[in-house]
Amino acid sequence: MLLQMNSITKSYGSVTANSGVHFTLRKGEIHALVGENGAGKTTLMRILYGMESPTSGEIKLEGKTVSFASPTDAIQNKIGMVHQHFMLFPSFTIAENIVIGREPSKAIGFNRKAAAAEAERLGKQYGMPVDPWQKIGECSLGVQQRVEILKVLHQGAEIIILDEPTGVLTPLEVKELLVAIKALARQGKSFILISHKLQEVMEVADRITVLRDGKVTGTVDAADTDAEHLSRLMVGRDLIHITRNDTVPGEPVLEVSNVSIRGDKTKPLLDDVSLRVNEGEIVGIAGISGNGQSELLQAISGLMKLDGGAVKLRGTDVTGAPVQTIRDRGLAHIPEDRYQWGVAKDATVTENGLMGHAGKHQKYGILRGSSIRGMVAEWVHRFGIKTGSLATKAQYLSGGNLQKLIVARELAQNTPFLIAAEPTRGVDVGAMEIIHGELLKKREERGAILLVSSELTEILKLSDRILVMFEGRIVGELAANAATEEQISLLMAGGKAVG
Amino acid sequence: MDKLVQYGRSLLQPLLAVIVGLAAGAIAIAIVGGSVIETYAEMWKGAFGSFYFFTNTLSRATPIILIGLGVALAFRAGFFNMGSEGQMVLGALSAALTAIYLPGPGWFKLTAAIIAGIISGGIWSALAGWLDARFRMNLLITTLLLNYIATLFAGYLVSYPLMDRTGSAAMAQTVMIDQAAWLPKLFKGMSLHGGFIFAAVGAVLLFLFMRYTVKGYEIRMLGGNPLFAGYGGVQRGKLMMLSMFVSGGFAGLAGSVEVLGTQYRYLDGALTTPGYAWSGIMATLLAGSHPLGTAIAAVLLAALQTGGMGMERNTDVPLEVSSIIQAVLILFVSAKLTYSFIKRKKARSSDGAAI
Repeated sequence: MLLQMNSITKSYGSVTANSGVHFTLRKGEIHALVGENGAGKTTLMRILYGMESPTSGEIKLEGKTVSFASPTDAIQNKIGMVHQHFMLFPSFTIAENIVIGREPSKAIGFNRKAAAAEAERLGKQYGMPVDPWQKIGECSLGVQQRVEILKVLHQGAEIIILDEPTGVLTPLEVKELLVAIKALARQGKSFILISHKLQEVMEVADRITVLRDGKVTGTVDAADTDAEHLSRLMVGRDLIHITRNDTVPGEPVLEVSNVSIRGDKTKPLLDDVSLRVNEGEIVGIAGISGNGQSELLQAISGLMKLDGGAVKLRGTDVTGAPVQTIRDRGLAHIPEDRYQWGVAKDATVTENGLMGHAGKHQKYGILRGSSIRGMVAEWVHRFGIKTGSLATKAQYLSGGNLQKLIVARELAQNTPFLIAAEPTRGVDVGAMEIIHGELLKKREERGAILLVSSELTEILKLSDRILVMFEGRIVGELAANAATEEQISLLMAGGKAVG
Repeated sequence: MDKLVQYGRSLLQPLLAVIVGLAAGAIAIAIVGGSVIETYAEMWKGAFGSFYFFTNTLSRATPIILIGLGVALAFRAGFFNMGSEGQMVLGALSAALTAIYLPGPGWFKLTAAIIAGIISGGIWSALAGWLDARFRMNLLITTLLLNYIATLFAGYLVSYPLMDRTGSAAMAQTVMIDQAAWLPKLFKGMSLHGGFIFAAVGAVLLFLFMRYTVKGYEIRMLGGNPLFAGYGGVQRGKLMMLSMFVSGGFAGLAGSVEVLGTQYRYLDGALTTPGYAWSGIMATLLAGSHPLGTAIAAVLLAALQTGGMGMERNTDVPLEVSSIIQAVLILFVSAKLTYSFIKRKKARSSDGAAI
């Protein structure tokens, strides 16, 4: 056994993040670690990577007991970690990012050529070719991911921890990544893969360990299990299958016609975009992020000025109107980037929940504290938002819980039209169920929803119609019941529609 | 209970700064050869030793509180209003000129003068806000530079066209305001005037406003995350102009009450030399922009200044020692960021990692 983690327990005061966890890794194995948010996956890996020390328990590497005081220790013991958020320097080249910390030198200078050659060699050796001279800032997220892995390999890692590696990748990039991981495993590298996407896990892993509430609920061979069984281990109960009842779309609620935004670059951000969302309908927009979806949503919600075209909400022209006017007309908006648009981190849960609801909870301009707290407390209860109290600052909530707060806030606006951008990004399976259920309920109550998501499964599961965006244009429209993942993927990558 | 702990924490930092400031002052006193205890005792007496000294301290604190409140409001909204000095001077000048030249009964002159002071301070501040909204000129820089325009313009007016030529003293000042339009003193024979009531009420009102009103909420969210506020329908431009106007209005009020309650005329340099504006900004920083905290911090800073004068009267220790204490205070308040940084690092290393 290459790595053994025995009876690892980690407590923070009264909270136990890991309790008696056993975890083993063989050489050349891909071992997936799955579980909901807050199940203790990341804590366990932070312990292994020397970022935290366990309260009790031991780590054995090739039979020898080790203890790491810092990531530097872990790296010296050939353990590498690729974090969920990439840690790269955007203005440096790929080669420079890969060799950082162990730069080849010439006299006292940095040998840039040798670095490039090294990067190229690594890329070839491990089947992940890169252009060493390209700047990170110009690379797609898939390439950045590759650079992160090559960096870890350059540090000499034999055990590689990947924390949610596919979260930001396009379906095509995900496939490439999984292939690369399998190839590396055949060359003898061992992987620990943290994920909550069961499909991928089933595809790539040899063994799977499931954590729930800090405890191991099962370690199984991937060949002997299925997604159903895994999710039962994760959630502790059977998942409710959400069914979509048929609805007949009604009057148009949102009408976007010929909207263009020029932007600073030569290519327009939005190029003659037209779409319609009707009552009782969910329209999904698929696309690789950065192809105009953000701009489209901002244009609709009044956060960005248009260079041409018009936006109509419930028959009224709201082109260029202030945000408040558009919201009053009937728009709610789950923003795609929760930290940038969705909350003020220093404000409390209550204050963040109040945004957009202040008008209902005031008298002569004075806020009614108890009715506001009642409203937010109800959401906390219904969506199972884990927070210390209503006066806890938003920055202390986990990403998933913050997302639930935002979703609750925007659903409670009870508007005829809702923008849902990445509504379940980073939330666990249980919460995803609740959010999807709420979106479908809104649809059945004749609401109109514009859904933007980088998760194709989510788009396919919820939408009635699917639009695909590429380079600021809508390049295809598909009926959800007829669309396949392959079709959409192709359109997303700029290919022509088939059939 | 949690709340108490939270309050305790937010008090810890400024208290620590004060203690370190006093310690630094003690070293300075020892170096110039004074007795530390005796000197601090004199300082205490100079600030709070008798009812006279106490009210004197409060009267010095009055403009500092008002300016601090204005700056606190702007800070909360996310804007650095560094232009309190100019706003205060213009407020003072407008109040003086209104009280001097407006016909009518005393109470009418007084009220009009105060309103004029608030409005002109507010407009001067909102001008900077407009320059930012319209031309994207950096607020920090415009507010700072507008100070010079305001103080030099006021200085010119009272040195040439509006100079008081009635008396023999050829000073840069306006004529005296009619006594009927003076702000009354709160106690006979003491320097404390009605402006202090404005400051105290202002602090409480601002506190309630920020905490319990829709506009106050919007201002706080705008300061917390402007994109979030914009996404939620808060109009940045409008709210910015409003907060800058009110912020400058407080500074204008500070100038007005000084003119109407202490000097009874606009006297060039009477407001800028004591550095009221900068003390006000300091008080805000010391209190982390909390309105009530700002008022308390302002009294503390005023006490340092009046106490320093008492110390100079009665010991050989020079007045500069109180400047040293103030300087160390600022240093430690600005260390707030660094301090929270250290705290974060500590939290990490106590988890077992030493990055």
